Amino acid sequence: MQKNNIIIFGYETFGQYLYESLLDADYNIKIVSFDDKFTSKAKEQNIDIIKIDIKKDSDIQSLNIDEYHDLLYCAMPKTADNLFLVLTLRALYKDAIIIAMSNSHENTRKLRYAGASNIVDMYEATSRRVVNILTKPAVTKVLDEIVYKQNRLKMAEIKIPKNSPLVGRSIEDVDFKEMGIVLIAIIDEALDHKFSFTDHRINHRLDDNDTLVVVAMRDDLEIFKSNLQNV
Amino acid sequence: MDNKPWLVSLAYYLASSRKYQKIKDFFYNLLENSHYKYNKFFNIFMIIVVLVSVTSLVIDVQYDIPNWLNNFDLYFVTIVFIIEYILRIWVYSDIKKIIIEEYEERIFFGKKLSLVRLYIKIFKDKWSYVSSLPSIIDLLAILPSYRGLRALRVLILFRAFKMLRYTKSLTGFLDVLKRKKTELLTLFTLAGFFIFIAGIMLYVIEGNKNPHIHNLFDAFYWALVTISTVGYGDIVPVTPEGRAVSMLIIATGVGLIAFITSVIVSAFSERISSLREEKVFQDVSKKRHLTVLCGYGLLGRLIAKGLEKEKIDFIVLDIDEKMTALADNDGYYALNADATKSKIFEEIGLKDNIAHVLCMTSDDIQNAFIAVNVKSLNQNIVVTARCSDSDVAKKLAFVKVDHIIMPEDIAGKMGVVYAGEPAAFEVLLSIIEHKHKTQIDEIHITAESYFDGKSIKEIDFNSLRLIFLGVVKANKEMGDFGSFIFNPQKEYILHGGDKLVCIGYQTAIANVKRMV
Repeated sequence: MQKNNIIIFGYETFGQYLYESLLDADYNIKIVSFDDKFTSKAKEQNIDIIKIDIKKDSDIQSLNIDEYHDLLYCAMPKTADNLFLVLTLRALYKDAIIIAMSNSHENTRKLRYAGASNIVDMYEATSRRVVNILTKPAVTKVLDEIVYKQNRLKMAEIKIPKNSPLVGRSIEDVDFKEMGIVLIAIIDEALDHKFSFTDHRINHRLDDNDTLVVVAMRDDLEIFKSNLQNV
Repeated sequence: MDNKPWLVSLAYYLASSRKYQKIKDFFYNLLENSHYKYNKFFNIFMIIVVLVSVTSLVIDVQYDIPNWLNNFDLYFVTIVFIIEYILRIWVYSDIKKIIIEEYEERIFFGKKLSLVRLYIKIFKDKWSYVSSLPSIIDLLAILPSYRGLRALRVLILFRAFKMLRYTKSLTGFLDVLKRKKTELLTLFTLAGFFIFIAGIMLYVIEGNKNPHIHNLFDAFYWALVTISTVGYGDIVPVTPEGRAVSMLIIATGVGLIAFITSVIVSAFSERISSLREEKVFQDVSKKRHLTVLCGYGLLGRLIAKGLEKEKIDFIVLDIDEKMTALADNDGYYALNADATKSKIFEEIGLKDNIAHVLCMTSDDIQNAFIAVNVKSLNQNIVVTARCSDSDVAKKLAFVKVDHIIMPEDIAGKMGVVYAGEPAAFEVLLSIIEHKHKTQIDEIHITAESYFDGKSIKEIDFNSLRLIFLGVVKANKEMGDFGSFIFNPQKEYILHGGDKLVCIGYQTAIANVKRMV
């Protein structure tokens, strides 16, 4: 995995949580803020915060964003600021990956229109979780382990390299289960770039550059990955 | 012990009889408790009886009614009414308690029990019911059955009145009027005063000149007809002085009527929200396993939608009237209430009605306050609280909140998934937010169903079109945390009570759910 820069705009609660979670995953993280309010907390934690003015393009350009490698998270506390930020970033960097925080369907639509590549709808995810706690305790437990606790189980994507033993075989022929891997979805490079769930309705033939989306124990995942490489 | 009067012995006997209490409770609930499930049927039954009897009595005025209907009215209706009347007197209060209290008090002071005093006390107690308006109406409604006196037929009116008892909306109307008793009384006294003065004046002025005014009653009748702006015109003043009196009371009449109308209307608008609230309470109190959603902000609304989809009974509480109105408009049960106070939860029914409380206001401290409130009232209620601050989360955990939800944390964790694995993130988002028809779901294996005792190998998940993630074990001995078995071995045997966690197309999941 290449070590990309991650830039978090806004250091309110979401930014803080994102930062803490990302620390474990070991990335280069820059935090950019426009507000003095939260910089003091960051100072306590010994985090350097870059302060800029959101309205000035020159300020943003001074961050030296690499639009092909950096991940940009927009998590401004105010929706209006967030929207403006997404707009500015998209105008400056056409190919950058911009992930925006949203708190409603309506804002999700606006952010998408403004050019966000992906949007995390905070309340949508939260409300699903609350309802799941009430109705699907088992599902809650599983999602907890995969997404929120992230210690044993992991959801990951794996690109099938050239010359991998998997190339040319169909999904049904490969015993993923034996390897401790549960295959959930596949992005078939030959068809389109959209993912499809591998719920056995269609039997895919695996090609190189296809991406597998799997859930597995961390150890099994590493073994699986290295097996793919070492032919 | 034997020197106890038989009345006291009987009271003691009944007080110790569980069966007696059970029967009395049943009748009390049937007659008086609107939350009791059979109360509604009793009321409907009585309304039908009343309608049939009123109709038959009205028809009887001009036509002959068939004999069987007459008998029905004479015997059946009368007997039903009499039984109801007696039952209501019976359940109104507890005589045996009065007797026992009186007896024990006397014994305590070493005095002899005076039976006369006791009878007076009992009589007084029951009299307070018998002399109340509803009871008088009940009694009067029985009388038209007596065929000897035709004048008693007028009392049919009271049978119609009796229906008030059985319809909540009508009693609500009377309640509203009761609240404005003083205002209405003042206005009616004023009106009576005007009618009195005007009537006397007209009688003095025209008593011997107007051919239609024979006595003082005619003059009062004229005054009422005029002041109410009805104006039949059967009696009209014929002298200029009489007309002058008319002009005066017409002017006051218009003002008075407007006044009375406005008092009644304002009384209603004041009461309308509480009438709605009562309706909500009534509906909600019948539900079991109710979920209480506190806070109807952005998150609250989304949760409400989700709960509705999953067909969970819930009620929205919000301290802001606008939010409550919004929830009400969205078609949910909603109450404008302060969830940090115990009152509202007690009213909904703490013991067996509320299963979950979701504290979802945007304020961490409020949520903690609500959580503490609920947990202190009943530890068994499952509380889910939202908070943004990890310090608050620690405090919530301290008060044993069952689930702590941190929206920013959840979003942050999802953001992390994206950082490494954008494609996995897409898939995850799709599963979590139900974007496609493929979703993650759990399948409960019931004992002795198709899956019970089968190994994973035997269940062909491929042909079921499901992605099998793992099993959540039924027995809690292994601890809540470790009980999820990811991707179990092919030899793993499933048991009743286990939950399979699968990803699959909606119909595929529904199909399997039908199998188990």
